[in-house]
Amino acid sequence: MTSKRGDLKKIIMDTKTLPTLPTVIQKLNSLSDNDKSSVQEMAKIVTSDQVISARILRLANSPSYGFYRVSTISNAMILLGVNVVKSLALSSSIFAIMEKDIVGLWEHSLGVGAAANLIARKLGLPECEEIATAGLLHDIGKVIISIKCSEAEKEILKLVRERRIYTMEAEMEIIDTDHAEVGGWLAKCWFLPDKLGEPIAFHHDVAASRNHRIKTAVVHIADVLICASGFSNSGESFVPPIQKIAWDTLKLNEQILAELVDEIEDKLVEVKNFSLEMMAD
Amino acid sequence: MQKIPLMLAKAGMILARDVFRGNSPIGMPLCGKGTELTDSLIVRFENMDVQTVHVEGHPVWEEGECSVDDLLRQLDSRFSKTLQEPLNVALYNIYKAYLTRCMGGDSDKQAR
Repeated sequence: MTSKRGDLKKIIMDTKTLPTLPTVIQKLNSLSDNDKSSVQEMAKIVTSDQVISARILRLANSPSYGFYRVSTISNAMILLGVNVVKSLALSSSIFAIMEKDIVGLWEHSLGVGAAANLIARKLGLPECEEIATAGLLHDIGKVIISIKCSEAEKEILKLVRERRIYTMEAEMEIIDTDHAEVGGWLAKCWFLPDKLGEPIAFHHDVAASRNHRIKTAVVHIADVLICASGFSNSGESFVPPIQKIAWDTLKLNEQILAELVDEIEDKLVEVKNFSLEMMAD
Repeated sequence: MQKIPLMLAKAGMILARDVFRGNSPIGMPLCGKGTELTDSLIVRFENMDVQTVHVEGHPVWEEGECSVDDLLRQLDSRFSKTLQEPLNVALYNIYKAYLTRCMGGDSDKQAR
């Protein structure tokens, strides 16, 4: 069994056909690591790619982040911070890979991003934007499985429908791994920071997250809440169990949960609006 | 009362809450509750960055959104695998209360 998984890892992570991140993002990463670079320099790099700029502005004004109205990249950098713009550039590129034909998954990801942001803010956690980005990206493994093994994906979906099981279980049976692990591999391939990689890889197994357990727990809870709300059809028909360790890590209680449900449902109307607008284009 | 994206607002619907610029609840309202929406009013809201409006009744029926009973049935089905987990039961009850509150036409008044 392990060899099957190893082969699959090779197929999935075949770097020649793996979707790549645009060079702009790599440049932006290296610039932002350097203390001496200025916001203007970074904005200049981003604006050199009009597609990414447009997507950043669109996302910056979307419900996941939309606390400001932003019209220029340097404004976005100053208002939202360099890290947020970096996350935006990253998530916008990943949306381009996801494409619109997987609408359900796309909406689910937007919803989890928005929910993760709300949870992080409500609990007063640091790095809300990174947590929101991790939420947006948490199911990226599903996208890769659908791009790389479309045959296996069909079987997985069939199995999920017929036997009424979780996607994870079907994935384990057919491809001997699951979308969380695949997402983790991808995060490594793309050299994403651990604070994004861990929530992606362990959002179904919070206990396995060592260094960024709080972020992973937020993404896990956000995922469960969005599944519970039935907001969009991500292929998952059942709410996953809330993991006790996530609950305890975030020190949640029923009252906070009830407030979160109200706030998230309010926000989801905006997310729906945003996604309708995107589909209309 | 139903909160709907502005994209789905139609002339003839009645506002159930005041509408504010950019949906921020501070500042002057653009339009008071009880107003009947018109096409030109909706365009004006669009220009003013309004994203959502609260309207009377439940005029927009989205796909899969049939009635309280149907919604609750779907909720039951989503939770059917995890109702032995205490935390999920708590979440289930919260959602059940939320759905009943939102969809029951008159419960808005009771809540206030």
